[in-house]
Amino acid sequence: MAYKPQYYPGNTSVAKNRRKHMSDDVEKLRDISDEDLTALLGHRAPGSDYPSTHPPLAEIGEPACPVREVVEPTPGAAAGDRIRYAQFSDSMYNAPSVPYWRSYHAAINFRGVDPGTLSGRQVNEMRERDMEEYTKRQAETEITDWGLAGLRGCTVHGHSLRLQEDGTMFDMLDRRRLEGGVIVSDKDQVGVPIDRKVNLGKPMSEAEAAKRTTFYRVDNVSFRSDKEVVEHVQKVWELRTKYGFVPKA
Amino acid sequence: MVKTASVTDKPIQIKIFPQRLLQPQTAEKLLNEIDQVKGVIRMLIGGKNLPRKVTCGPGTGSEVNHPNMEVIHVGDCAFELHVMVGEIIVEVEDENSKEELRKACERALPFSFEFKQGFFIKTKATLVDYGKYGFKSKTDESINLEDERILGLIDPHAKAKNNLCVVSSGEEK
Repeated sequence: MAYKPQYYPGNTSVAKNRRKHMSDDVEKLRDISDEDLTALLGHRAPGSDYPSTHPPLAEIGEPACPVREVVEPTPGAAAGDRIRYAQFSDSMYNAPSVPYWRSYHAAINFRGVDPGTLSGRQVNEMRERDMEEYTKRQAETEITDWGLAGLRGCTVHGHSLRLQEDGTMFDMLDRRRLEGGVIVSDKDQVGVPIDRKVNLGKPMSEAEAAKRTTFYRVDNVSFRSDKEVVEHVQKVWELRTKYGFVPKA
Repeated sequence: MVKTASVTDKPIQIKIFPQRLLQPQTAEKLLNEIDQVKGVIRMLIGGKNLPRKVTCGPGTGSEVNHPNMEVIHVGDCAFELHVMVGEIIVEVEDENSKEELRKACERALPFSFEFKQGFFIKTKATLVDYGKYGFKSKTDESINLEDERILGLIDPHAKAKNNLCVVSSGEEK
């Protein structure tokens, strides 16, 4: 029987969603074109070539190395792309993804990632074309609800704030907003205006967000209600505390 | 000396904390409703800053043009919102105005809100206020202000012109 990874314990909807995010078994909800996504990221002009930081690996002539032979480089590394980043902010009001789960999703399902996880935002550094592929996956699927999350390279303020009256997360730089029932964005992730208005689709309703979220909240699915998760977390804490004493040393 | 806690003629302060961050139209409606309440001495609007320009990152200096940075009208005053309104602190003359204030909020807000009584705005001049305004004269050591209600309403380093608004009451008109 083929091995099936078991990513996360628990029987609540939040635990199930967390497993879905980790295993990349996520539903695609919208289409965002490559050009629009490149414009939103703001690292290069849409349609332009990828600037490189070194020649393609095939041209460099790598030294004989068994590890290099075993590990196939990612397309970005093989082409010598620059390292670039994408950063998401997620509202604690039932946004679909907890920043930690964006990191898990990236690190488990993509290669060559350097995820940085903070309380309300998550930044991921990768080779440029790999990063675009990863960002597209997160932006188009249920991992992101553009009303409750945002692509924010700087001024990420919003995660722990109350929602706006229209149910979207506050954005100090007004990168994306609700217009005619859909979220539109006319600035890149650092707040520089772009030459287009990108349609990011309909935001989730409150009920749908509550169903798809990976946030444990007392007013939705509380952490304490999931006995298996509590048991698992306590076990991890116990083991790491014991390991802190380094029994073998 | 008053020994009981039920001093009724002392101004009281109320913090109104809505469940959502307010759009300019709702904020305008709420402030006008509060303005109609008898006995309101002063209001302090707080919320999330709306910058004119991007202040950090590669986009520094780009115009933000936030749509919520609107001019709103309260009473006979018009001013531009620099924040997305998240809380309003109101000082009223006595306990009698409290319920009327709560009803005004219920009329203006389409969602729930917290309504807390406490001490939120200072009522006496502190050292920085004396540093900014000075004494009235060499013999009078009270603070050199015509209207002491502005104490605690603006940052000592801020300019009153852009941050303070005096709404005259119906009788004054």
